[in-house]
Amino acid sequence: MTAAPGAPLEECVPADIVSSVFHSASVSDSMAILVAETAGGDPRLCWGNEGAVGLLGYALEDLRRLPVRQLFPTLRGGELTLLLRRARSARMSLPVRTASGALVESAVVASPSPSGRMWTLRVTPAEANASERALRATADAHERRFTTLTERSPVPTLLSEQGMRLSHVNDAFCGLVGLQAEQLLGTGWMACVHPDDLDELIERVADALEGDDAETRTRLVRDDGTVRTTVIRFAHVFTPGIGAGFVGTIEDVTERLAFEERLAHQATHDPLTGLPNRTRLADHVAARFVPGASGLACLFLDLDNFKVVNDSLGHAAGDELLTEVAARLRATVRPGDLVARFGGDEFVVICEDVTEPDAVALAERIVGDLARPVRLGGVDIRPHASVGVTVQTADHVAAEELVRDCDIAMYQAKAGGKARITVLDQQGRAEARDKLRLVADLRDAIDRRDIGFSYQPIFAVRGGRPVAVESLARWTHPQRGPVSPATFVALAEESGLIGGLGALVLDESCRQLAEWDRLLGAAAPARVNVNVSALQLDEQLPEAVAATLHRHALAPARLQVEITESALMKDPLLARRVLDELRALGAELAIDDFGTGYSSLAYLRHLPVDCLKVDRSFVAELADGHAEIATAVIALARSLDLCTVAEGVETDAQAAELDRLGVDFLQGFALARPMGGGDAGIFFADRLVAG
Amino acid sequence: MPVTSAPSFDIERVLASIDTMAAQKPVAAQVVSAANSDDASARELSRILASDVALAGRVMKLANSAYFGMRGRVTSLQFAVTVVGFTTVRTMATVALTDLDDESRLPEDFWTVTTTLALTASTLATRFGERPADALCLGLLAQLGAALLHHDDPEGYGELVAAQPTAAGRRAAEVRRYGISAVRLTAVALETWGFPHSMVAPMQRMDDPASVEGGLLRVCFEAAARLTQPGYEPLPIGPLSCGRLRDEDLPPVLYQVRAEAEELRRAILGD
Repeated sequence: MTAAPGAPLEECVPADIVSSVFHSASVSDSMAILVAETAGGDPRLCWGNEGAVGLLGYALEDLRRLPVRQLFPTLRGGELTLLLRRARSARMSLPVRTASGALVESAVVASPSPSGRMWTLRVTPAEANASERALRATADAHERRFTTLTERSPVPTLLSEQGMRLSHVNDAFCGLVGLQAEQLLGTGWMACVHPDDLDELIERVADALEGDDAETRTRLVRDDGTVRTTVIRFAHVFTPGIGAGFVGTIEDVTERLAFEERLAHQATHDPLTGLPNRTRLADHVAARFVPGASGLACLFLDLDNFKVVNDSLGHAAGDELLTEVAARLRATVRPGDLVARFGGDEFVVICEDVTEPDAVALAERIVGDLARPVRLGGVDIRPHASVGVTVQTADHVAAEELVRDCDIAMYQAKAGGKARITVLDQQGRAEARDKLRLVADLRDAIDRRDIGFSYQPIFAVRGGRPVAVESLARWTHPQRGPVSPATFVALAEESGLIGGLGALVLDESCRQLAEWDRLLGAAAPARVNVNVSALQLDEQLPEAVAATLHRHALAPARLQVEITESALMKDPLLARRVLDELRALGAELAIDDFGTGYSSLAYLRHLPVDCLKVDRSFVAELADGHAEIATAVIALARSLDLCTVAEGVETDAQAAELDRLGVDFLQGFALARPMGGGDAGIFFADRLVAG
Repeated sequence: MPVTSAPSFDIERVLASIDTMAAQKPVAAQVVSAANSDDASARELSRILASDVALAGRVMKLANSAYFGMRGRVTSLQFAVTVVGFTTVRTMATVALTDLDDESRLPEDFWTVTTTLALTASTLATRFGERPADALCLGLLAQLGAALLHHDDPEGYGELVAAQPTAAGRRAAEVRRYGISAVRLTAVALETWGFPHSMVAPMQRMDDPASVEGGLLRVCFEAAARLTQPGYEPLPIGPLSCGRLRDEDLPPVLYQVRAEAEELRRAILGD
């Protein structure tokens, strides 16, 4: 509260000090001092120092007897007593009227004398506080600059001086929420904050008020009801005398989030049907799979004869069918079940809390619903599906096993005759797992180049000398022993390992040939024949062949690529292109197992091949006196100017008969069995010596 | 309606009575003086406040009131001081100091009018170039003088108020009866206690129709009259506000103020 007037000190201050202080006060021109007294009526001035005379412009004589009221025109009525208090000093900011009538804004301190009838007035013109005013002006200018900055800023900005109360919002924020500043100031803006986000927002504001920087994601509800998602960043602001507030800047991330969401949706959904894709399916199953639990079921559907629809009615009709199937699936499953497009014409349904009978019942419902006719390109189609069903058991240790088992069940359903529902049983699961293990082992064997090779010599009929070898891959499983090529090549083709296996065969065969060249010189086989799977017959093959030959420094003519007749017929146009390139490279080409397929002879005529291999089945028929097909094949080859190789020659009689029929080369047990690289080298060296 | 003759009104005595009250509430007095200092900190203020449980409780309650929007998040006294601001804490202390929290000693409707003044002032502050935080306190304390006059002359002041529906008329009657208007008396008290000029000036300038600073309080009293006096004849807002507001600007504010006034009253009085 106000300072109590000082205790009377005069008694203890010597008179000469009193007079010295009075003298310095009376002549001071930096301080205006007046003395007023009440003498029976209104208070009047009775004395003033030089500073007062200078400030007020009155002669000292005129000052005396001047009513105090006249000096302070704003103190009306009884208000003068507020300044001239009897018991304590008072301080007021008010204008003082000078002799010229001008008003000087001043701070006035009035101190009563102990008698209570006299006051000393100290008048300090406000101009004396120039530095204070300059500071204030600077602060005001800062504030104006800040206001201008935020006002024009495109960044929505909030300014609070107390708690959540805003003292300022800029146009960008008003625009963001679609309201006027007046509606937002104070706590009005809180109504724009999504109710579910308000508590978190207040928490962050509290952090900012306590001095930390803070950030939060908040949804703002516009006046038209639409919602914007924003990131609000808060910074602490302290205003002396007022307290703590914050500056908040808002980033509208609605579009960015929507874009990210769209991307995420695209990454996890099939664009054609809008169904979740494999990625989403895997996440969905993984999130619900608890090892050892039960009740999670998977239905794997594959449309029967989808390829027929695609090929006969076109891809647009195929897409339409897939879309319709997706819609029917969605409509048939229970709420909460997931329907995903696994790929192509395959769909997967995941259900929770079901038993096997429940899952089978759902599969039946789906199959029934799908079988309703769909009109595509003017034709009514009844889509049928083969469905594999799996319900989680204790055997499933990982989420993906559930879907994989279901896939197996679907294949079993398909193998069983289409439009069937199959539940994967214990035996089916065991077989499938066994196959999976074998695939894994084969993959390891290929990676470690743990595939063995044997080479069967091929003899020229003319001269009877071995001129080439056919390279044959062999796999001996560490536990299961030798695995037949028919098994492991098929396995490699099914499981995507054929590329690696083919590359290994090509590389190892060329490496061996190059080694024979080094060791045997002229005795080395002139050529190595390498089998290429139908799945290898693609645009990359010529390049791979060229690179391998180059790596082992072999002339292209040292390699003969053997391709089965059926492989050539899979995609004749592509086969033709690949063969042309291989031929251009300089490699020789042979058609393997000739006569077992259904090649059009007209087509065959245009293929750039060098050689036909007469299938071993036709050679075997020679022993029974049936030489018709072998004769025809050899004659055909000759008329097309192609050489012939007879495979599977097991007896000297067969060899003699083939010689008679005009075959060019012979290959078979009767002449030489397949042997390892080293033995084959010795075999060729011996023949040279013998020759 | 004749007003009873003025008693021997001694303004000096009225002002002195405040000092007496201060002596009886040392913690509040200490808060007023500490909040005044340039290096006031929330920690120091809350430390002093903590000794006055009732006052501290009111500050906490106010900090968590709808007015500050913190919805119960304010759990420490120091944070409460930070949220409401130093001027508000000082205002609360002044309320306690001058017995404004004792409704039995106040004119009827005192706090309804006061919270209306405070919320209107806070809401409209920026239109008049004032800070909302200061304006809230300005409104809360504007009637301090009226309380003092009522306390000193309950009957006479009651009759005076009843006879003068308009704020301007009442101020003129106060000057006639007491030599000073209630608002002016408040300004003097606040100036004496070192409240910032931004709070005192609007009170001092209220009777100057050309003063924008005075305009804020004139509009606030008009708002209070419209909300609390049945049958009140509204005055045009344009001249009262020196053109800062139009007639249509006030009704939305009144609506909002009426909704919030009661909660603010409870927070301030700690009911």
